[in-house]
Amino acid sequence: MLRLWKLAFGLLAVLFLLVPMFAILPLAFNDSSILTYPMTGVSMRWFSELVEENIWRRAILNSLIIGLSTAVFASVLGTLAALGLRGSTGRLARFGNLIFLMPMVAPIVVLGVGMQLMFTRLGLNNTYLGVIIAHTVISVPFVVISVSAALAGIDPALERASANLGASPRATFVHVTLPLARPGILAGAIFALATSLDEVVLTLFLGGAGQRTLAREMFAQLRENLTPVIAAVSFVFIVGTVCLGAVNVFLRNSRRFRAEGPAE
Amino acid sequence: MSATTSPAGTAPAHPTRPHPIIRCDRLSKSYGTVRVMENLSLDIAPGEFISLLGPSGSGKTTLLMMIAGFEEPTEGAIWLDGRRIDAVAPFRRNMGMVFQNYALFPHMTVAQNIGFPLKMRGTPRREIAGRVARALEMIELGALADRYPPQLSGGQQQRVALARALVFEPRVVLMDEPLGALDKRLREQMQLDIRDLHRRLGLTVIFVTHDQSEALTMSDRIAVFNKGRIEQIGTPDDIYDRPRTRFVAEFIGETNLLTGRISGGQLRLPDETRLALADGNGAGEGDEVVVSVRPERMRVIAPGTMPEPGANRLEGALRDVVYLGDHLRLQIDAAGQALVVKQPRAGLAPQPGARVALTFDAADTRVITS
Amino acid sequence: MSARTRRRLLARGALLSPLVLFLFFFFFVPLFNVMRSAIYDPVIARAFPVLSRSVEGWDRAGPPTPDMQEALIADLRGTTPEVLGDAVRRLNGMSSGFRSLMSKTTRALEAAPDPATRVDLLAVDARWGDPLRWQAIVDNLSPYTDRFLLAAFDLERDSTGAIAAMPPERAANFAYFTRTFVISALVTGLCILIGLPYAMLAASVRGRQRQLLLAAVLIPMWTSILVRASSWFILMQDQGLINGALIGSGLSEAAVPLLFTRTGVVLSMTHMLLPFMVLPVFNVLVAIPGNLMPAAAALGANPLRAFWHVLLPLAARGIVSGSLLVFMTSIGFYILPAILGGPAEQLISSLIAMYSTKAANWPMASALGLILFGITSMLYVVFGRIGTTPARRN
Ligand SMILES: Nc1ncnc2c1ncn2[C@@H]1O[C@H](COP(=O)(O)OP(=O)(O)OP(=O)(O)O)[C@@H](O)[C@H]1O
Ligand SMILES: [Mg+2]
Repeated sequence: MLRLWKLAFGLLAVLFLLVPMFAILPLAFNDSSILTYPMTGVSMRWFSELVEENIWRRAILNSLIIGLSTAVFASVLGTLAALGLRGSTGRLARFGNLIFLMPMVAPIVVLGVGMQLMFTRLGLNNTYLGVIIAHTVISVPFVVISVSAALAGIDPALERASANLGASPRATFVHVTLPLARPGILAGAIFALATSLDEVVLTLFLGGAGQRTLAREMFAQLRENLTPVIAAVSFVFIVGTVCLGAVNVFLRNSRRFRAEGPAE
Repeated sequence: MSATTSPAGTAPAHPTRPHPIIRCDRLSKSYGTVRVMENLSLDIAPGEFISLLGPSGSGKTTLLMMIAGFEEPTEGAIWLDGRRIDAVAPFRRNMGMVFQNYALFPHMTVAQNIGFPLKMRGTPRREIAGRVARALEMIELGALADRYPPQLSGGQQQRVALARALVFEPRVVLMDEPLGALDKRLREQMQLDIRDLHRRLGLTVIFVTHDQSEALTMSDRIAVFNKGRIEQIGTPDDIYDRPRTRFVAEFIGETNLLTGRISGGQLRLPDETRLALADGNGAGEGDEVVVSVRPERMRVIAPGTMPEPGANRLEGALRDVVYLGDHLRLQIDAAGQALVVKQPRAGLAPQPGARVALTFDAADTRVITS
Repeated sequence: MSARTRRRLLARGALLSPLVLFLFFFFFVPLFNVMRSAIYDPVIARAFPVLSRSVEGWDRAGPPTPDMQEALIADLRGTTPEVLGDAVRRLNGMSSGFRSLMSKTTRALEAAPDPATRVDLLAVDARWGDPLRWQAIVDNLSPYTDRFLLAAFDLERDSTGAIAAMPPERAANFAYFTRTFVISALVTGLCILIGLPYAMLAASVRGRQRQLLLAAVLIPMWTSILVRASSWFILMQDQGLINGALIGSGLSEAAVPLLFTRTGVVLSMTHMLLPFMVLPVFNVLVAIPGNLMPAAAALGANPLRAFWHVLLPLAARGIVSGSLLVFMTSIGFYILPAILGGPAEQLISSLIAMYSTKAANWPMASALGLILFGITSMLYVVFGRIGTTPARRN
């Protein structure tokens, strides 16, 4: 009896979690121009619209420009900070956690208001740079967390060994520390990219017509005219997520970093 | 600060050994307010194999880390070949080191690991390949050159670490419990291999271990550490047969400690039994001393039999017998002390509870004054 | 301090400073701007500098002094249309009719461009004789004000300066707070209701089953919030999949409205935040030794009592930190209610966005933002005391 309840509950909960993720995907291939079930026929027209229609093309381009720049900025700043925090204890570690993780919890709309107030004065409103800075602020915590975890996993004896073998601090960093932290840095960069691609609120507050990203465009279309292109974008997003996730898993399990036990 | 800023000079002449390759001069080390090393001096001759032996936390790793440059002495100086090196960065010290858990780079192949110190010294690529190949041959792992360390067994990793520490031909090699993670059989094999390499290459080896039998079999000299000081330093024979302190006597091997007073050149036990001694070791008449006698130097004889002339004799009760293959380990209460005797089985079959006599030569006693 | 330690400290500083500076300028300064703009509103003061120096003798209840009238005229002549426009918009928001009054007055002043000509304000418009008009201006002459913070709670200062409730027709802000808390509490409750058994289930199975259950939690967390919002949109339409299933199975005659309803918003928010409940609870549960529940059973506790007396107390830390995380995140939600909710489901963030992007009322947006940020920070501090690092995307 209990087993049956468990099974039923588990099944329902998994359905609740997963169905809302995928319900929209088939509609990407529907040939009706209304975004609703039932499907009337199979077509790729929404994908072609996505790549041919000017606003969507522009949005994709903007998302890539902003997302990749954010990933670069956030991973450089976050990696440097994680290196600076490395091995720290006590007050410095607490300070780092407080300061660097705070952007994760500040309500995003409040941050948007504050940035808008400030960016107007700096002339950063409606510029790529402004949006990229804003996205970097909210994605940098992910880089700090992920690189810190990677650095904490490096045995300090490896760096001592390197110095002992004649490597200068610089050479040790380049040949030992950096390669060992690389999976963490890449994971952080992927997190940052994903955060930026999905960001709507700050883009809404700070970006102008020239900086409409895919997420921003999708948000607008969802509120105004429900075009099935939304389903096509969702499809692209899900495929993108799966790819990024796969890259991440691949990095973590990268063969040479994994102990495979004694191999004779 | 003074240690790091004073200019390099020449080492002062040493009274006993002509040219120490490494000289540690009155080193002290504190972490915050905790003193973990106190006024430690140690000279190491070129080509010597010296073991640092001592209980956990006695400061062996600390000394090794100071020599390698990863820790700064709070006071004192370290000299390498007549040059003061306290202020020299670790990567310029040119000493090989085998770390406790090997510290092989997981993202480099075996060959890249071994080639690393050569690459860091700007050795031409062609030459690196040749020397790595020869090093691999030496450790008999040529077939595994392109494996990554996590794919090797513990013993293989150990040999790679060794090759990596030797490939750039350092004059001094530091090893911090390099064999600690290996099983017994492999450990004994590696002991022989390391000893062999030391002889062949004329290396100076500083070898940290807390395994006393390892230290005894491998070393030219042993430095016994206790609480951040060197308790005694000497050849394995010295340390084993002539422990200078009670700590050394108890730490190295098993021993019987008899407590009493010196009286007429003999040891008088509390129950008035008198024992002949090899020599008083500087102890004066009436002094309270401890005398160490190794278990294997004592023999049980049938009660009533007289010992050889000049040998000491004690009577007591046999409490327990343990069979150790070819040996017996007998626990005997005699003269108010609990004693241990180790001897071959040879026809002896005493029963617990029996009255026995034991004997040992005066020459096998060692008076410990401190 | 040795040279080496000093060098290490320098290196740390050099590595940390770029991000510290970056966040200082682009995170803390903006937040500070919000704080300042919530209590600092120079719009009126900037437009009426002369007036602010000549209100001394006025008794608030009587007609304006001649000094004040002249000062106002001087101010209206001296300012630029932009500065005046901002001030008028603000004044009009507090008491309507200011826009027409001001434009009438400025026109009259333009007709008499010579400053030497005396203009009688009361002759231009009789409304200038009303002390309440003057109060509206005079009370806002100080650039520092608690007006917006009070207004966030539907409070204001009455003509005597005491704090009083706003008239109901203007009291629109506090309802957003209540609604935000009600919806967030509902979502948190639902997350506990679904998340706790789910985490227990995941902790009680092993191997592939556990992996599946955890993957079902992690996959949504990784997926774009817009994709999830769009999917919910499709599901909840009147012709959508949920209604299709309800009608098809005969459970319902007609379509149940879900889109733009509170049910829909709560459901989708629960879906979005469930992982933040499941993961901390699961982490706590797997750390509980596996033999405790059997031990309780062996000691005679029926499963319900064992759950109540053994498991729940042990899981409490996870439930509390999960709840804080869910609640803290949901009070800041903006996108989901904007897409899936009707006007009655908009939370405090929507109100802030409305004030800042539509009404250009920065001080009001800032005051609300300051309060929201304050509440979130307090929850974050409590959360930090309990442990576990947060992870959020909304
Ligand atoms: N970084 C440190 N901070 C504070 N105390 C330390 C530090 N490193 C070592 N110690 C202390 O110094 C003492 C000597 O440590 P050391 O590692 O040299 O011992 P060891 O002889 O190598 O012991 P083991 O056989 O366990 O390796 C110990 O009491 C240890 O606690
Ligand atoms: Mg040690």
